[in-house]
Amino acid sequence: MAAASSVSSSRGALSLRLVACALVAALAGCALRLAPPQSEGATLHLSDAAQEGDATRRASMRLLLQGLDADAAGRANAALSSYERAIQIDATNPYAYLALARHEVEEGQWDRARESLDQAELLFGEEGAPGVEAHLAGLRGAAAAGKGYGEQAQPLLDRAGRLAPSVWADGELSAEELR
Amino acid sequence: MANKKGQTESRRSRGDGARRRPILRWLRLAAIAVIGAAFAGGFASAGYVLRLDGVVRERFEGQRFLVPSRVYSAPSILYPGLDWKLIDLEGTLLRLGYRRVLSSDELEPGRYLWSPGRVRIHLRSFHHPSRPEPAHDVVLRLDGRQIEQILELPEGHELGAVMLEPEAIGAYYGPDREQRELVKLEEVPRHLVNAIFAVEDQRFESHHGIDPRRIAGAMLANLRAGRVAQGGSTLTQQLVKNFFLTPERTLRRKLQEGAMALIVEARYDKGQILQAYLNEIYLGQRGSTAVHGVGEAARLYYGKPVADLSAAESALLAAIIQSPNGKSPYRDPELAVERRNRVLELMHRQGRLSDAEYHAARQEPLRLAAVTPDAGDARYFLDLLQRQLASAYTSDVLQTEGLRIYSTLDRRAQRIAAVALQQGIEEIERRYPSLRSNDPGRALQGCLLALRPQTGEVIALVGGRDYATSQFDRCTQARRQTGSAFKPFVYAAALEPGEAGPIATLATVLDDSPLEVSTPSGPWRPENFDHEFHGWVPLREAIEKSYNAATARLALQVGIPRVIGLAQRLGLTSTLPAVPSLALGVAAVAPIEMGRAYATLASGGVRPEVQTVEDLVDDQGNTLQRRSLRFERVLDSGTAFLATSLLEGVATRGTAAGLRSDGLRGPIAAKTGTTSDEQDLWLVGFTPEIVAVVWLGFDEPRSLGIASSRGALPIWRRFVTDLTGGQIRGAFRAPPGVETAEVDPSTGALARWGCPQSRPEYFLAGTLPEVTCPSGGVVRIPAAPGEAVGDEAKDNDAGFFEWLRRHL
Repeated sequence: MAAASSVSSSRGALSLRLVACALVAALAGCALRLAPPQSEGATLHLSDAAQEGDATRRASMRLLLQGLDADAAGRANAALSSYERAIQIDATNPYAYLALARHEVEEGQWDRARESLDQAELLFGEEGAPGVEAHLAGLRGAAAAGKGYGEQAQPLLDRAGRLAPSVWADGELSAEELR
Repeated sequence: MANKKGQTESRRSRGDGARRRPILRWLRLAAIAVIGAAFAGGFASAGYVLRLDGVVRERFEGQRFLVPSRVYSAPSILYPGLDWKLIDLEGTLLRLGYRRVLSSDELEPGRYLWSPGRVRIHLRSFHHPSRPEPAHDVVLRLDGRQIEQILELPEGHELGAVMLEPEAIGAYYGPDREQRELVKLEEVPRHLVNAIFAVEDQRFESHHGIDPRRIAGAMLANLRAGRVAQGGSTLTQQLVKNFFLTPERTLRRKLQEGAMALIVEARYDKGQILQAYLNEIYLGQRGSTAVHGVGEAARLYYGKPVADLSAAESALLAAIIQSPNGKSPYRDPELAVERRNRVLELMHRQGRLSDAEYHAARQEPLRLAAVTPDAGDARYFLDLLQRQLASAYTSDVLQTEGLRIYSTLDRRAQRIAAVALQQGIEEIERRYPSLRSNDPGRALQGCLLALRPQTGEVIALVGGRDYATSQFDRCTQARRQTGSAFKPFVYAAALEPGEAGPIATLATVLDDSPLEVSTPSGPWRPENFDHEFHGWVPLREAIEKSYNAATARLALQVGIPRVIGLAQRLGLTSTLPAVPSLALGVAAVAPIEMGRAYATLASGGVRPEVQTVEDLVDDQGNTLQRRSLRFERVLDSGTAFLATSLLEGVATRGTAAGLRSDGLRGPIAAKTGTTSDEQDLWLVGFTPEIVAVVWLGFDEPRSLGIASSRGALPIWRRFVTDLTGGQIRGAFRAPPGVETAEVDPSTGALARWGCPQSRPEYFLAGTLPEVTCPSGGVVRIPAAPGEAVGDEAKDNDAGFFEWLRRHL
């Protein structure tokens, strides 16, 4: 009896495994059909880096997140203040210049955006950060487009679109997307 | 007979008439004269009144007050992880006019409660047009020396950071040195107005400029006292006296004062007059500066805005109007409380305070703000800021238009810099008494400047040991030879890749043997500090030990014009002579130029503009100018990193190794500089976050007889140690395009298996040594001609296009 029950239970387990396999295969198929035509690399969100580094860097990151929230709520002055304070306490924080550049692009300050992007790129240095390339290229493209260099802007925006299509498909980086 | 009588009467009457005629004539003439005089007097009086009216209107309807522009420091930011002892949290709060209380019931904006393990601060709101900060009630939880957590009350939300309002660091005064903070009538609490009415002018709201009852009362009181014990002037008369008249006490001036008071009252409403009075009234001294108006007085005595004054605080202000200095509450606090209570009593008796308010106000202890004298230690900075603003704002504008200038100055860094320089110079004078001079004009001098390399913001500037003695700013106005502090520019020029690659790499071996160069003024033979030559030496050792012959030879191999070009690109603006000795620092430059050039290396080849202003706001709150983070890439990041790495070696093993002798930890890149005859001592160095320059010397150059490592270095070390708490954060990171390889330090050859000694070294990609160890060979400088340095000048749009092209 015990043996029979053992056999039946192993058969049950087998059939369960088969069903599970079928489900996994079906889901995988769906996933394949739903997947975008191009694979997306890591997308940079500042909240992911908020807990990195020492206390000063973390405080600087929190100010950046406050700034992005303020930008998202349309409080541009408050946002700028937060970015500037983030830089004041940690002038080596590359994310601060990136967030500032995004803000400046949004405010139409193309030359300032260019300077902030240069500083961000420099501070990201050799290692960079996952997904930062897309934002750097995209913001450069957006600044160039704003400045009137449409022809040169497009390849940069295209590159950003290829690297992070979910963010850069519309050619813009919102505060929420960077957050 | 009848005829005769008639004739007689007729004669008499003619005689009477003749007698009467001159009288009548005289009467007529007198009447005409009186009428004429009345007309003339009327005209003259009317003219006089019209003239006075013109004077009154001109002052009232023009710019009533000349308000000096005020300069503020950068705000302090508190955040979890910050060392509250290091930043002197309580000292900062006290300087900002915050007051410590003993129970939470007493908390209100501008007060704090310090208890074990926590500080509750009711932060004041901060009225900045573009960065307004609301009042916050926050709790800082402390863990040892650190702020562990910041919570906002009453909800208990956790905050990432909170900002303290900027500290006022000075103002641009006119010759009269008056300071005032203009207030609008609606900002002034009613109890302050009531206190002033009670003491100075009970019937202000009903009289027409002159109060006959008050005049009669004053005369009676003065007669009784036998001296001038009481004034009869109304607020309007006091305003007129201060606005338009001289302080002389004559009947003529008194009549003039009365007439003008009547005119003022006829022309303007009571609110306008009262507001002008509240802004004009003299209320004391802050050092050599006269404090006018209740707004400024509230800051002076209580460290807070006038709107926040209590009834008791208002009563005290009213009590000192008659004699602000004689009755200063700082002189005799007990007497001040007595005077205050007498004013409260008057207010109560006149029905201006309820019973409850009166009794509560009498119980209020006297809480005066800490005395904050003029920020003398920031005056060199204020001068630099003024020079930077000069193109847009003249001295007149700065002295009269009440601008608010939010600066980049870090008040804490400034204090530390001032102490480090002052005590450092005194220590040198103690150890080397021959350097001491009793004549302040011939005393040993120095300066200290600190910048943020990424933004170019000046965070501290001390241009000399005593501003009162000498306003000459040695950091920005002096041009002094730099000595070896110039050498990094030679090495950077050698490491920078030209069309044929760089002249040298960090593995290159240099020749430190005797050198003789023919010059128009005769042969030039550079010597080393130790008067010895060291033969072939690794490039790192040459700069770490500051070998002159090796560096001079390298500069000649690079080409002096190329060295000049690079130094100018980095930020030197003074004339650099195209002579071989330039390599050893014969050029005279300002310390601020050196700071900027080293900042360019610190920020990876991006040259920042020196900034002193964050933003500038007019008296109406409109932002007139805002900081622009302007920088330009002038050197590739790889070369800047290699130069930084060399200077890290100088601070670790070389002439600046003493920087670490007091336990200062973390990344430092620095170079000493001692000129011939030890006339100028330099230490220029940076961390990932700060560039600091220290210069020491005499204004009329003469030898100090000591090296920089004993003069400028200890001052730099103390400044950075006190600023960072001894632990410098961050790291100098290699940018893309820099790779590491093992080399044989004695030959510079790439170390392979079997090489007896090796160490890692940085190289720009594609510049690895071709010779290997142990196969043999030495990495020496190939005979490479210098290449021309391009013109940096580009217009903005072309610059933008070029920037874009690089990233396409």
